[in-house]
Amino acid sequence: MRLLPREIETFWTLFTGPAIWAGHFLICYASAAIFCAKPALLGMEFNSLRLGIAFVTVVALVAIALSAFLAWRQWGFGAHDPPHDDPTRHDRLLFQGFATLLLAGLSFVAVLMTALPVIFVSECLR
Amino acid sequence: MTLFVVMSFGAAAIWLAVVTVVCVAVRSQRRVVAEPAASRIILWGGAVFPTVTLFALLTYAFWLMPTLRPSPTFRDATDLRVEVTGRQYWWQVVYFHRGLKIAAANEIRLPVGRRIEFSLKSDDVIHSFWIPSLGGKMDMIPGRENRLSLMAQRTGVFRGACTEFCGTSHAFMSLTAVTMEPEAFDAWLASQAKASINVAGEGRALFLRHGCGSCHRVAGTQATGAAGPDLSHLGSRQMLAAGIVANTEDNIAGFIANPGAIKPGAAMPAFSMLAPQDIRAIAAWLKGLR
Amino acid sequence: MTVPGPRASDEERAAQSERLRKVWENPRGWRYWTSVNNTQVGLWYASTAFIFLLFAGALALIMRAQLAWPDSDLVSADFYNQLFTLHGTVMMFLFAVPIFEAVAIFLLPPMIGARELPFPRLGAFGFWSFFLGGIFVCGSIFFDAAPSSGWFMYPPLATDEKLSGIGADIWLLGLSFIEVASIAAAVELIVGIMKCRAPGMRINLMPLFAWYLLIVAGMILFAFPPLIAGDILFEMQRMFDWPFFDPARGGDPLLWQHLFWIFGHPEVYIIFLPAIALLAMIVPTFSRRPIVGYSWIVLAAVGTGFLSFGLWVHHMFATGLPQISLAFFSAASEAVAIPTAVQIFVFIATMLAGRVILSTPMLFGAGGIAIFVIGGLTGVMVAIAPFDWQAHDTYFVVAHLHYVLIGGMLFPVAAGIYYYYPLIDAKRLSDTLGRIAFWLMFVGFNVTFFPMHLTGLLGMPRRVFTYPADLGWNFLNLVSSVGAYVFAFGVLIVVWDVLRPKHREPRAEQNPWNAGTLEWISEPEENWGVRSVPFVSSRYPLWEQPTLAREISEGRWYLPDAKEGRREGLVTSVLDARPEQVLRVGGTSKVTIVSAFSLGAVFIALTFKWWIAGAIAAFTCFCAILYWLWTGTAEIPEKPEKDVGVGLALPLYASGPSSVGWWAMFITMVGDSTAFASLIFGYFFYWTIHEDFTASSAGPGMMWPLVSAALFVFAWLATLAARHFNALERTAFVRAALIMALALTAVASAAGIAGPWLHAMNPTAHVYPAIVWVLVCWTVVHAAVGAAMIAYCLARSLAGRLTKTHDMDLRNVALYWHFLAITALITFFVIGLFPEAL
Repeated sequence: MRLLPREIETFWTLFTGPAIWAGHFLICYASAAIFCAKPALLGMEFNSLRLGIAFVTVVALVAIALSAFLAWRQWGFGAHDPPHDDPTRHDRLLFQGFATLLLAGLSFVAVLMTALPVIFVSECLR
Repeated sequence: MTLFVVMSFGAAAIWLAVVTVVCVAVRSQRRVVAEPAASRIILWGGAVFPTVTLFALLTYAFWLMPTLRPSPTFRDATDLRVEVTGRQYWWQVVYFHRGLKIAAANEIRLPVGRRIEFSLKSDDVIHSFWIPSLGGKMDMIPGRENRLSLMAQRTGVFRGACTEFCGTSHAFMSLTAVTMEPEAFDAWLASQAKASINVAGEGRALFLRHGCGSCHRVAGTQATGAAGPDLSHLGSRQMLAAGIVANTEDNIAGFIANPGAIKPGAAMPAFSMLAPQDIRAIAAWLKGLR
Repeated sequence: MTVPGPRASDEERAAQSERLRKVWENPRGWRYWTSVNNTQVGLWYASTAFIFLLFAGALALIMRAQLAWPDSDLVSADFYNQLFTLHGTVMMFLFAVPIFEAVAIFLLPPMIGARELPFPRLGAFGFWSFFLGGIFVCGSIFFDAAPSSGWFMYPPLATDEKLSGIGADIWLLGLSFIEVASIAAAVELIVGIMKCRAPGMRINLMPLFAWYLLIVAGMILFAFPPLIAGDILFEMQRMFDWPFFDPARGGDPLLWQHLFWIFGHPEVYIIFLPAIALLAMIVPTFSRRPIVGYSWIVLAAVGTGFLSFGLWVHHMFATGLPQISLAFFSAASEAVAIPTAVQIFVFIATMLAGRVILSTPMLFGAGGIAIFVIGGLTGVMVAIAPFDWQAHDTYFVVAHLHYVLIGGMLFPVAAGIYYYYPLIDAKRLSDTLGRIAFWLMFVGFNVTFFPMHLTGLLGMPRRVFTYPADLGWNFLNLVSSVGAYVFAFGVLIVVWDVLRPKHREPRAEQNPWNAGTLEWISEPEENWGVRSVPFVSSRYPLWEQPTLAREISEGRWYLPDAKEGRREGLVTSVLDARPEQVLRVGGTSKVTIVSAFSLGAVFIALTFKWWIAGAIAAFTCFCAILYWLWTGTAEIPEKPEKDVGVGLALPLYASGPSSVGWWAMFITMVGDSTAFASLIFGYFFYWTIHEDFTASSAGPGMMWPLVSAALFVFAWLATLAARHFNALERTAFVRAALIMALALTAVASAAGIAGPWLHAMNPTAHVYPAIVWVLVCWTVVHAAVGAAMIAYCLARSLAGRLTKTHDMDLRNVALYWHFLAITALITFFVIGLFPEAL
């Protein structure tokens, strides 16, 4: 039995990577905004916020990597080259796999970039 | 500054490269690139190169970030704080110095080599405080207090401006920043804390009789208004009407007679009904307040 | 492999053509304007948008004349402020976004091999809304009443009646009206692209234009609603003094900036992507080969679409937010450069891999890219916060944004005009004039805007109506002004080329550029779009299926006839475009104009606070829409199935997820939920900025909100029960359940209002009661709409138009109620429980 179906017959898997980026971005923004606006509320240090963001980042990266792997598998692990323009279900799936893989790559980079500031910035700095 | 130079030259180089490739591509006599090679151009030129470049740029920028605009440690560390409040279309300036509160308007003086903290506020609409030669801008937002710290490196007179659109005379809301040697600055600040030596001049009675004091304050008189700029040392300022015209007796008189001619939309009503000689007398007195 | 049907006899084909022609023909005389055909509506839309472009351009020329010399007094400060406000507003709202809708409505159906978009009347409604709203907003400047607070309308400047006058109301209400039209277009385009492609056009074969448009329409759905939510708060403050942006009563001007830029930044990409989509059609044609990196384009479009929502705060770098927050947005702003670079390199790779013909459209395209790349690179610079603190709100930014928008949008659109003009008129535009226009525009543009980088770095702020002579800005400004007139002259040549009489010229060939995509088989003389709906099996059907064009025009594919005298198209599945249904779309009708104009009248009446006129207009609009729905939607066909040709018979009726109506409702409600989420964001925003969020005033309590939430859940369950009984054909139970749902909705709404009402929450006193009231009002208004829908279903049932098989109305209403139930639960849990949790 497979944990995840081999070919997910839907349009929406395409957006997995960017959706994870969006969730990660929102969490980073909202947690930092609330932390800086209401320091007393959470009662924690900025370093805890950094750790929290680091943790969320790792989770997001793992999730993107997982979706990238599934997409890579759907793309036949690179056995077929683009352009994937045959009028067949097979080529449509390859196209979806490849496009999803590319988007996962972009999302991976974007998540890393979003998390980059917490390495250098050590306070709210308002 | 280094950041700007790096980015400008980097941008110029990238632009030239892209345009060159486009020019090559539109030439009809050339070898056609095979599809796999073209795909690799997208991968390396469109994806990998920008990713690496932007990563480097972001790392550099974030590394710089905490040092470029340090958050002011406010109220305790230094002994001078400047509160600037944006008003339509002028700047109210208050120096907080060793328990004293010294009011001024439209001109800011700063000692060279000391990091000075600003608190920026607004009373009406959003303004933005910017003295390009001294540092980046910061908005002044009603209901909020923004903080900024600036350090002048050399003496001189610099122009500042409001950079958030704030209404009719947004274009006429500028600011003079005078940076001075610390000793000269301390002496100047001490003089500002007292009333002007010429406060007893002859225009004073006219100024008070025509009600100017209900909006303007002049230290050492009964004029204590707060709606308009503080005029206690008007004569010593470089510019008039928030950096718009030279500070001369003529211009002061002109402004009293018809502020809207110099600054459309200004809150001050025209006093053209006053006798011309009265206006001249008031202007002369104000110009004498040093 | 699907093969076309046999060739019919000549007489038979002529009869078919005649019937099709009659069904799709435009009405004559003044009734021409009641047409809803996509080619007509697309043309009107585009012409109107271009007129607004010229208008806004003229405003810009007045501004450049004023700024040519220092201390100039050509125009007054107030008039100048109206000029730049209107210039920005008109260019963004009345040109850049509508032109994309226009091009999409005109081109998309033939490009995806469809006869029409799924909701032609909605498209016409959108056009008339835009037309009326646009004239209202632009006309204001002739009465010296134009908005003058900048196109971003920052409060408190724009909320203060004395400072902003009626102009701000005109802006808010006029544009809200147009935003509604944009969302309508987005719904139409998403459903069109997902469900109305020609059979066989799988998602890996879709023209890239359609991919881009799909993403852009999705972005509209998430970008415009926050602005609508902001508009609601703004107008509540202006009309009823609810203090959302008044710091004296707990409000905060920054909330508007957040909501405005959550809209405003994606807006830039909403403008840019469709223009790039045009290039994605033009570049392969003139490189004489298919695009290289099709999947990369999809990456670029989707990636840009998502990332563009993480940039909004870079317009607020100087507002004093914590730098850690700025840094996140800085990062996302840089990340978005990656998909943009991919986009450019896909074009470069395609050109390198082909043999390029440097035609006029290609020239505009290449020039646009050269300009846009500069704008993109300065964008990378200003996205770095420390640099932005200097460059923000100076002419550097003015230069940057014009490089992005003119290079990324206006030049590609000009390329599109030269490329697609033969589809409008069967004539070609002049190559010579095009090249002259290009060089004038290209040189004029750079002469105008390149010096602005320097004026900005020299410290010249934006939005100043004049400047002193001694700051070293004089020469650069003079150069910019001269350049602006050169640029304008180039634009005028394009206008002349389009408008000059061409009746003496020979008819251009059907496919003059020898392009590969399906839009080139549509004939300008015919209204039917495609003579028969083809089966598509490649990305460039005209290149790779050489006999296809002839087969289509011989009527050998689907739907070659209109025997029942109805306008028909095919509905296909999302991924593989399998034919699923024959869709009958609405034809010529006055109801679209009546609804659009009466809705416009509501907004105009509100602007001038003519309450009675507003109420009358609202009632008219309600009746018109009701009439439209009753007579034009969920029609029960005379037979269950229809033979569509090529040996295929398809049902004429569908409901639930396989019907286009269900999709439209779903998509609309996603947009609606985004607006609601923005209001909820406002609630929590006020919580973060205040020590004591409630200002120690009374809240709505816990009991009433929870009672209301429970009642809304029951009303939702009653609606679901009605759907369930309908499937069982228990008509009496259906009606009983609907009546029950109606009653429950009424009680639930009353309970919802009871909370803030009984605790005497005064919305003008402080922002806390105001935001609670707004959330409650939002929910109750939606409940009222939900109740109207239920009453409508009840009436349909009584009229015998709601049966087991014909249940589209009820299923769509149930879908609406899913969203309403979620809205009600969130509203009442937030206002009831959150204050208690503190």
